Amino acid sequence: MRHIDVHTHLMPQCLWKTVDGGDDWYGMRLESGDGLGFVAGNGKRIFINSPKLRFTPEERIVNMDEEGTDVQVVSIHTPLFPYHWEKGLAIQMSKDVNDEIAGMAKQHPSRFSGLATLPLQDVDASIEELERAVKVLGLKGAEFDMVVNGKTWDEPEFLPLFKAAESMGALLFFHPQPQENLVALERTRKYGLSNSIGVPLEDAILVATLIYGGILEKCPNLRVIVAHGGGPACFGMGRMDHAWKVRSEARANIPKPPSRYQSQLYYDFLTSSEASLRFLINAVGADHVVIGSDWPFVGWDPSPGGWLESLTSLSTEEKEKISFRNLEQMLGI
Amino acid sequence: MRSIDVHAHVTPQCYWRATEGGGEWHGMRREQDARGREVMISGSSRGQLPPRASWTPEQRLADMDSLGVDVQVLSPYAGFYNYELPTATAKATSVDCNDEINQMTTTWPDRFASLGTLPMQDPAAAIAELERIMVQLKFKGAMIDDKINGKMLDEPEYLPFWKAAEQLGALILFHQGGDTVVSPRIKKYHLPNSIGNLADRTLTFASLVFGGVMDACPDLKICFSHGGGYTCYGIGRIDRGWQGIPEANRLNPNPPSTYLRRFYYDSIVYTEEALRFLIDQVGVDRVVFGSDWPYDMAQDWPVSWIMEMESITQEEKDAILWKNLEGLLGI
Repeated sequence: MRHIDVHTHLMPQCLWKTVDGGDDWYGMRLESGDGLGFVAGNGKRIFINSPKLRFTPEERIVNMDEEGTDVQVVSIHTPLFPYHWEKGLAIQMSKDVNDEIAGMAKQHPSRFSGLATLPLQDVDASIEELERAVKVLGLKGAEFDMVVNGKTWDEPEFLPLFKAAESMGALLFFHPQPQENLVALERTRKYGLSNSIGVPLEDAILVATLIYGGILEKCPNLRVIVAHGGGPACFGMGRMDHAWKVRSEARANIPKPPSRYQSQLYYDFLTSSEASLRFLINAVGADHVVIGSDWPFVGWDPSPGGWLESLTSLSTEEKEKISFRNLEQMLGI
Repeated sequence: MRSIDVHAHVTPQCYWRATEGGGEWHGMRREQDARGREVMISGSSRGQLPPRASWTPEQRLADMDSLGVDVQVLSPYAGFYNYELPTATAKATSVDCNDEINQMTTTWPDRFASLGTLPMQDPAAAIAELERIMVQLKFKGAMIDDKINGKMLDEPEYLPFWKAAEQLGALILFHQGGDTVVSPRIKKYHLPNSIGNLADRTLTFASLVFGGVMDACPDLKICFSHGGGYTCYGIGRIDRGWQGIPEANRLNPNPPSTYLRRFYYDSIVYTEEALRFLIDQVGVDRVVFGSDWPYDMAQDWPVSWIMEMESITQEEKDAILWKNLEGLLGI
C-alpha cells in the first residue's frame, strides 16, 4: 500500500549551512548545550531534539525507505515560524525556505511535496508569497500556526488570505508551535503536559475557531488539514453543537450546528490510539483522514504506514483512503 | 428503575433573599441585565443565572418529576466557590450554601443527597468544613474547581486535603468555575465553556495521576463532571507522554491509562457515540448519570436521552442511571 505522509517537519539546509559556519541565519545561531544543542535567536531557543532534523533530502529518503513512506509532504519545523520577526526579514526568510522546499520536490518529485511558510504578520505579503509558492514553485499550499502573534484566525483581516487560498486550491496545514504560544502553557509546565494535552487542545480550538468563526461557511471549498487528528474536537463536538443551540454568540457566523462543518476539514491520523482514530473516522469519514506521522518526533511501531495497516477495526478501503487515496487526490500526485 | 443525578446545582434561597432589592450576601450582589436576566456579581466577576436557578425546592421537585429524575445529588452553584476572596468570606458562603443544601436533603431525604462547597484557598479550612459536612451533616462529599487561584490540585499543600477526603469517604466532584484554560486565548462563541471545561478536566486527570495523588490515596473517590472532558479520548497521547519520560524519572509505575478506572465520569457528553466511547474506555461501572441542572448547557431531557440509546444495553443504562451511584453513595 502506498503511504503519503502530510505531517513531516523540516529544518532547512540553508539554515544549517549558515549556522554551522558560525554565522547568523536571520538572527539565529547554533548554541551548544544538552544533546545536539540549540538554534537560538529572535527570542526563541529551539532544542534540536532529533538528529534527523539535520538530514539532507537524500538522508531523509533513506529514512523514508526504511519506514516504507513513499511521499513526505514537507513543511518547516514550527518553532521557525517568523510571524514575530520584522516583516521584511520574515518575507525574505519565507522565500528562502520555500525555494529550498520547492527544490527538494523538483529534484525528487516522486518522494517529496512541499508546503510553504508565509510571513503571516502581513496578510498582503502572505497572499503574494502563497501565489508565488503555488503557481511558480509548485508547492501544494502552506503550513499555518494556530494563532498569529496572539490573533486567532477568525479575525476579519485573515479572510482575504483564506479566500485566496480557496481560489488557488492551496492546501492549508495547521500545526501548533509547541512550547511557544500554547494556550495552556501556564498549567502544563509539569509532566510533559504541554505536549500531551496542550498541543491537541490547540488543534481543537483551531477546529472550533474555523467553524464558529464562519471561515468554512464563507469558504466552502477551502482545503484544510489539521494536525494530530484535530485533537479531541470530534469527541467534544456534541458540546459545541449544544453551545450553538443555546448561545446566540455561538450562532453569530454559522447557520448550521458545528458538527455539520467538521467534514469540510481534513485530519491527520495522529490520534495515538486505534479507538480514537476509529471515533474520528466515524465522525468525519475515512475520506477526510490522512497519514500524518509527525516525522521525526514520533517513534512508530513498526512505521507510520505499518501501524495503519496493522489496525483491525479499519477496512482495507478505509486504510487505502487514509494511506494514499485522499492525499493523491488532494495533491494531484 | 431509578435515576440519580450526580450533577445538579443549587443557588441557595438565602442568596436570592439577601440580594432582593439590591441587598448583599457576603458582599455579593445581583442585578438584572437589559433583557431582564439575573446576573450574579462578586467583585469584578459576573455570572448569568438561568431562570430555574431561583426556583424553590418545591419547584425543583416538580421539574425533577417532569424530567424523570428521582434523586438529585445537590452541589452549589460554581459561581460561589469564592476561592479568590478572603478565606473568612469563602468559609461563610460555604457554610451558608452547605447548610441550605443540608436543609433540602433532610426535608426530602428520598429526593436529594448533598455535596458541599469548600474554602479551598485555605486547605486547613477546607478540611475543617469537609469534616463538618461529612461527619455532622452526613454529606456525600464536595464539589471543587480544577484550579485554585491558578494552582492545580497536585500541589503538595493539597495532599492533606486528599488524605482527609479519602479517610472521610467523601466523593469529590470536579467542576470548573469562572475562567478555564481556554479563556486567555478566545472568549468568543462560548469556547471557554464548550472546550475549556473539557480541557480543564483533562488537565485535572493528568495532574492527579502524574502528581502522585492517586498513588498516595488509593481509596480516594473522584468524579469528573462533563464525562471527564477529553480524558478518555486523548489518553493515548497522555500515555505516549508518560512513555517518553525516562524510566528512572517516572513517578507512576504504570501508564496513565491504567488510572482511568480509578475515577468516575458523569454522562454529560451530548452524543450517543461519545457516551459509548466513554463506557468502552473506562468501564460502565465508572459512568454515572449527570444533567447539569439548571443551566443552558444541561442535557435536555437527560433521562430519556439515555433510555432511547440503541448502542447501550439495558444493564448499562441501569448502571449509569442509578445502580453505580446507589452503590457509591449509599442512596
